[in-house]
Amino acid sequence: IFVADCAFLGFENTLQRDMEGKISSSEDTNLLQRIKEFTRLVIEDLAEGRSPKISINRFRNYCMNPEADCICSSDNPKGQEILTLKREPQTYRIDMLLRVLLIVQKLLQENRHASKRDIYYMHPSAFKAQSVVDRAIGDICILFHCSRYNLNVAFPVPVLVEEVEDIVSLAEYILVVEKETVFQRLANDMFCKLNRCIVITGRGYPDVSTRRFLRLLIEKLQLPVHCLVDCDPYGFEILATYRFGSMQMAYDIESLRAPDMKWLGAFPSDSEIYDVPKQCLLPLTEEDKKRTEALLLRCYLKREMPQWRYQQTSTSFCIYISYNSTKTSLDENNFGRLRLELETMLERGVKFEIEALSVHSLSFLSEVYIPSKICLEVTSP
Amino acid sequence: MEEPSGLSSMKFFSDQHLSYADILLPHEARARIEVSVLNLLRILNSPDPAIFDLSLINRKRSNSCINQGVLTDVSYIFLSTSFTKSSLTNAKTAKAFVRVWKVMEICFQILLQEKRVTQRELFYKLLCDSPDYFSSQIEVNRTVQDVVALLRCSRYSLGIMASSRGLVAGRLFLQEPGKEAVDCSTCGSSGFAITGDLNLLDNTIMRSDARYIIIVEKHAIFHRLVEDRLFNHIPCVFITAKGYPDIATRFFVHRMSTTFPDLPILALVDWNPAGLAILCTFKFGSIGMGLEAYRYACNVKWIGLRGDDLNLIPEESLVPLKPKDSQIAKSLLSSKILQDNYRDELSLMVQTGKRAEIEALYCHGYDYLGKYIGTKIVQGRYI
Repeated sequence: IFVADCAFLGFENTLQRDMEGKISSSEDTNLLQRIKEFTRLVIEDLAEGRSPKISINRFRNYCMNPEADCICSSDNPKGQEILTLKREPQTYRIDMLLRVLLIVQKLLQENRHASKRDIYYMHPSAFKAQSVVDRAIGDICILFHCSRYNLNVAFPVPVLVEEVEDIVSLAEYILVVEKETVFQRLANDMFCKLNRCIVITGRGYPDVSTRRFLRLLIEKLQLPVHCLVDCDPYGFEILATYRFGSMQMAYDIESLRAPDMKWLGAFPSDSEIYDVPKQCLLPLTEEDKKRTEALLLRCYLKREMPQWRYQQTSTSFCIYISYNSTKTSLDENNFGRLRLELETMLERGVKFEIEALSVHSLSFLSEVYIPSKICLEVTSP
Repeated sequence: MEEPSGLSSMKFFSDQHLSYADILLPHEARARIEVSVLNLLRILNSPDPAIFDLSLINRKRSNSCINQGVLTDVSYIFLSTSFTKSSLTNAKTAKAFVRVWKVMEICFQILLQEKRVTQRELFYKLLCDSPDYFSSQIEVNRTVQDVVALLRCSRYSLGIMASSRGLVAGRLFLQEPGKEAVDCSTCGSSGFAITGDLNLLDNTIMRSDARYIIIVEKHAIFHRLVEDRLFNHIPCVFITAKGYPDIATRFFVHRMSTTFPDLPILALVDWNPAGLAILCTFKFGSIGMGLEAYRYACNVKWIGLRGDDLNLIPEESLVPLKPKDSQIAKSLLSSKILQDNYRDELSLMVQTGKRAEIEALYCHGYDYLGKYIGTKIVQGRYI
């Protein structure tokens, strides 16, 4: 994977080795030049006795606007802030931005990586709190139109995406699972050998590196992506993070989300179809209900919903989807029904985990549930 | 029940029976379950039927002892032969009594199918089959430990999946049977994941030219050290369990210590009670998993972060102890196993009410960590 002199990810780059044999891409050099340029402009302003004006765009990927006629679905900025030295809080923000930028420059020059935490600890007396560092990093990313990992402020796990030359795979699809325990179950059942696929877990809320890696796989391999989460508010939030991106990283939506991701399950309606025993349906707590209601308020769940019906025969589980209105991509991936399913869950007042599906048979998940759901995706209109 | 440790070591523990858990193959574990059931049936069928009490090795601190290594440097916690009785006739323990049998039943089925199950899956199965007896994951976990204590076999032998959070990187070659050797110095900055399969770990061949084994508490620090390829400057192997160590990672460290007995094992943890607790788990084992603990204890030494390093970090990086930290400190201080110099460090934490993370050293630059470790090793400043 670590190869010199190659073209990758659409960048035409030549790689240079520095004295210690470390590789730095010219994409980094580009960023370094831009950092220098930015600093030069700031110094010019100061030398001529005027305050620099630093314009930072604002981003969000959803809002709670009840009319749902918002512009959140576009990736464009929603307004901007202009920082100057004329106001004290803005001065502070500029100061922090420059301090972090200095550290980032060093990281890029030496081709090393650090976490946000590490950066805080380099000057705890100046930064005073982790949140200050986090905001400065966000500001820098927006200012330079780049992602956090471009600044080397993220540990490349499992691999440094920029240095990947090529990926080869025989897989037919990618399966993203919420929990590590489900991942273990699939590994134990040799799922990947019997079904040609790649299984990934973010172990709960996926971090930036995992989401970036998933995006790389999607771009390189052009495979369908299915997502398997628990049927509870936590699971749905994770699903939304993979699919729509997170608010925190709203400025970086492009490289972190999986727009064609399909929701495999578990649906609240699955508890009936697959015969989950009543004892395994856990009651929703007050916290759960609040989270679900908040999720339902998000504008991206309010897009136009088609009418759909499903039928179930006793011998096979088949779902017929009929559309009375225009198909949107949300529906094809089952996200059109997310709203309905969430409301169903609230109504019933119960939630369940993936493991509850396996009470009758340990291999149910690998042998029946997942393959039948994936087959449906292929055959549904 | 407790003897002064000095006297015990003179007797070489000939009078104390060491309770331990075996690692069994599926058919052996099934056999033990069958024996328990047959015993129960035999007694019920006898002319004088009675339901005997289950004698489970007592997993309380009062039954834990320390074996202070006389000929070796390794000390470990083990559970002695004091039993706690779980009785069907006693209202308090009746349900616990039944729970043990229910878990054994399911484990038997799993073993027959030659499969493995996660503890969460076990919980749902039990919730479904016996809702009156099981209501929470914690109850299931405790009952599993009861079965371990009754049958004297490891949790893994019962068919319960063991996951591992451990990572290893550095000057080490690992060869699983029938596969090519993996070079842990070329695994990228994430290192090589340690498998949860204890049988596989047992049969893995290890080769190394390292001079030290360094256990790192946190993932982020592990990343830093591996990315900087510190193992090329200081010939060593880095291992992390990303926090509180799981059985597989401890097993791995233990195997390394027996394969390379001359390599000192050093631990790099945060200066707080939780960090020391993690170090102690590697070093002595834990009481909750007492029957398996002794197998994986190693002579781990504390290299950092320590009290005498506090002059290296800025004032702001010393933050107050959390309530949980104080609890852990109290618990550790009351343990008889803790050596004096560790006790002093803990007391300093409690007195000042402060703690510090390893990252605090980054104020000198992020490559300072390597120099710090190197200096300490060269000066032999580990306890």
